[in-house]
Amino acid sequence: MRYKLLSVDDSKTVRIIIKKAFKLYDVEIFEAANGVEGLALAAKEIPDVILLDVTMPVMDGVEMLTKLKGDPRLKAIPVVMLTAEGGKDHVLKIAKIGVRDYIVKPFKEEVLVQKVGRIIDLKPISDAPAKAKSIFDSANLLIVEDKPAIVAQIQEGLKHTPWQVHGVATTGEAIDYCGRNTADFIMISLSLADDAAATLFRVLRANLKTKYTPIFGLAVKTDSNAQQQAQQVGFTGIATKPIDMAELEAKVAKAMNLDTSERYFSTDVDLLLMKLPELCTPNVVNEITGYLKGKVADAVDSGINKVVFDLQEVKRLDMVIIKLLLTAMQSCREVALQYTLMGNAAIVAESKGYEDTRGWQFHENIEAARQSFQKAPVAV
Amino acid sequence: MPATKDITEAVFQETITRAVNEVFNTMLGKKATLVPLAPGNHTASDTVDLEHPHIVGTVGFIGTINGLIYLYMDVGFAQHCAACMLGMSDTEIAEAGDETVNDAIGELTNMTVGTFKNQLADRGFPCKLTIPSILRGSHFRIEPISSATRRIYRFDIGGRPLTADLLMQHGD
Repeated sequence: MRYKLLSVDDSKTVRIIIKKAFKLYDVEIFEAANGVEGLALAAKEIPDVILLDVTMPVMDGVEMLTKLKGDPRLKAIPVVMLTAEGGKDHVLKIAKIGVRDYIVKPFKEEVLVQKVGRIIDLKPISDAPAKAKSIFDSANLLIVEDKPAIVAQIQEGLKHTPWQVHGVATTGEAIDYCGRNTADFIMISLSLADDAAATLFRVLRANLKTKYTPIFGLAVKTDSNAQQQAQQVGFTGIATKPIDMAELEAKVAKAMNLDTSERYFSTDVDLLLMKLPELCTPNVVNEITGYLKGKVADAVDSGINKVVFDLQEVKRLDMVIIKLLLTAMQSCREVALQYTLMGNAAIVAESKGYEDTRGWQFHENIEAARQSFQKAPVAV
Repeated sequence: MPATKDITEAVFQETITRAVNEVFNTMLGKKATLVPLAPGNHTASDTVDLEHPHIVGTVGFIGTINGLIYLYMDVGFAQHCAACMLGMSDTEIAEAGDETVNDAIGELTNMTVGTFKNQLADRGFPCKLTIPSILRGSHFRIEPISSATRRIYRFDIGGRPLTADLLMQHGD
């Protein structure tokens, strides 16, 4: 559900600052320049929270608040006063009418977001399904680990990705980093002294900026106690040492809800290419299978009617890969898509050894594959 | 109830300095330093080069004490402040036009005078703010009425001058 926030202030500057403050959150902002406009918009939109100035022309904030509280439909809407009127007596007088909070100008945007975040469950806009990030987008990974060798190992292992891996040694540095930057993924060593990992986890979860950030615990593979405790505290997941970098990369991508389909699927003019990687582990095959139907449907939807299965990088053909390809071919036949294969010499040779694949014809490159479609309507 | 005469010059100076500093630091991340003036009566034109275009924001306060404060800044500095406040580049703010800059300076003045009068309110002088207004131009002079006392404060904000002209009505 998208929350509605009504900003009532005669200053366009303040309304712009409010919009700026909430631009990273999934909140719809409505604006009014005085109490009359504010009441009308409140009645029309029934916002989840109102930010209300006091000194305004036409109808001031105190009058609007009084009318709001006198209207049975609107009286439950939480109001946060945002005003330069901040004398103690004045604040007390307004508080008696009924406000949820009171912010005196000048104000920091973070304070505004924090106070509104106590009233509505602010979600970063990146959590919205339409904004799913791709595996090729940059992301900030924060590693909280007091052993520099581990941080260096992760940085080295992920250097082929577009992710920035930032290492810090203490919880204080981590909090400081999260205050100044937006971390897309956080991993905390569970072996930090004095239960610091759990404490840091709670601090990060209480902070609006990191409330929904995936947080992993990092533990030695055999330390099941630490892993169990981390799960009880609520860590998003666990990574284990010694670190399997391919596994960690997959976990991070999944935790960040990244669209990894671009690794395997692309389009080239009138072709859909499905490229299998060198290491086609069962996890990778599952991942590709998960995207398959959607990608085929998208291809048909955009007018593409040919598919090439590219096995050029695959080292060996096994039953898992064969099953994936048979499923993919079936998906193509269901929507009348033509398809063909590309593969290296080893794969071509191996394909002759299986009953299901003996008849498959492979091409050396994309041009040869493309030409094959001109020769035969369905090339297998 | 305390009388206005109980507010010493030092309190006025400390209160306006704190107000300017708090607003410019919170909203723009800039530190304001009070620049001492030579003893004697001053007008804004003693500290402001009004040969060049300026923007002046003004907000009044009315209640147990009455007065108003003018904030003088040259157009370039005003545009820079507006840009910082709104998260725009200097080019973007120039494209956004005078109205956007006026509104931002009006709001900066509103916050400054609000912070000033809130401190006085907490000392026993409750009052309310008026709606901000803006003056633009050069070669002008604002004269207080005879029943007002004028105090001029000059600030250095990152090498740019800001002048606060505080007018308090007598007899409050």
